[in-house]
Amino acid sequence: MNPSAALTRNLGPSWGCDFLLWAHHWWPRWVFQPLLMAGTWVGLALLPVQRAHSRRYLTTVFGRPARLVEVWRHFFALTTNLTLMLRAGRGAPVACRMEPDNAAGFDALVTSDRPALFGAFHFGGSDLLGYLLGERGRRVSILRLRVGNSTDTRLLGQRFAGKVSFLWVNNPSELLFDLKVAIEAGDSVALKCDRPEFSSKTEAFQFLGASRLFPFTIYHLAMLFERPVVFCTAVPDEAEDALRVYASPVFTPDPASDREGNTRAARRHFQAVLARLEVLVRRHPFLWFNFLPLNPEAPTAHGPASQRARP
Amino acid sequence: MSNPPTLRLKTLIVATLKLDGVRPEDIPDDEPLIGSPRFGLDSIDALELVLALEKEFGVKIGSSEESRRALGSVNALSAYLRAHVSGF
Repeated sequence: MNPSAALTRNLGPSWGCDFLLWAHHWWPRWVFQPLLMAGTWVGLALLPVQRAHSRRYLTTVFGRPARLVEVWRHFFALTTNLTLMLRAGRGAPVACRMEPDNAAGFDALVTSDRPALFGAFHFGGSDLLGYLLGERGRRVSILRLRVGNSTDTRLLGQRFAGKVSFLWVNNPSELLFDLKVAIEAGDSVALKCDRPEFSSKTEAFQFLGASRLFPFTIYHLAMLFERPVVFCTAVPDEAEDALRVYASPVFTPDPASDREGNTRAARRHFQAVLARLEVLVRRHPFLWFNFLPLNPEAPTAHGPASQRARP
Repeated sequence: MSNPPTLRLKTLIVATLKLDGVRPEDIPDDEPLIGSPRFGLDSIDALELVLALEKEFGVKIGSSEESRRALGSVNALSAYLRAHVSGF
């Protein structure tokens, strides 16, 4: 990327993350929690664009107009999740409990030495996928949007230095060759697959009642480099500092199949992943951490909508 | 009229990227391969093409800058391979 390019910034003041960490550490919970809740109202008042996106998303999920207090809950869930990520970056242990479905396949892949592509979404504690992999000794390159004040990313990099590195998505043409280098070096790669704006290949999948465009790049990479793909989503557990992790079945390109066959299998796999994600989103609607327009609906009602027809 | 190495490259491009309805001789020698509205190739296509070139010619294209230069056009690609592959 062009280092001189102005970087976008995460929402909130530059000292916000450090203050959150400090306050969580020093203030008793009965002080911290009400102030966090009040601060979320302030954030809600100061961020009208994100508030509008949240309201539209929640209206889609609920099937009725979202109320202001529900938009506040959406913002508050983000703040709570950010606090957990920051604390994890500082070394706080986060217990990750795998849900039994597909756990065996996920564990087998993670404990093998086979490099893989790990997919996630801006949902729940999925940002902590890198922590989960780092703690299991995986060398993983994580794709992130480089922003001007990403304290959580900096802390994660510090905690798992040598295991976790970052590839920046801001410049897609540079990124793909950085990815090539990382994959050929034997790294696993973790990338989020819900925001289409930085993806050169999008396809249409059923999600939240419509055919919507999602990035499909992870599967192109899987087929080009013959790497398995597995998705993880994580939601907060009842216990504090704990996550329940849901793994998808592992998708492995079949070397005996041609590109068309593997692409069809990849589409089926991703549709199943998104169907499972939708169940979780409807169960935990406030954990969808995209304060952006929901994925756009596909221009046509039928078939994949990749930018160029390709198998 | 393309010379044999250039035609070989164009044939590889069409086959690798499965450019339906495009014949190798339809690809101009000097038109940008990536980002051209005529072919609609993007960065994943560029990556796929680079992998195919590495496999076909045993050459290592090490960076995005190098690949961008090499994939500037068929002529540029041909010149790159002449410089890096003996006998091309």
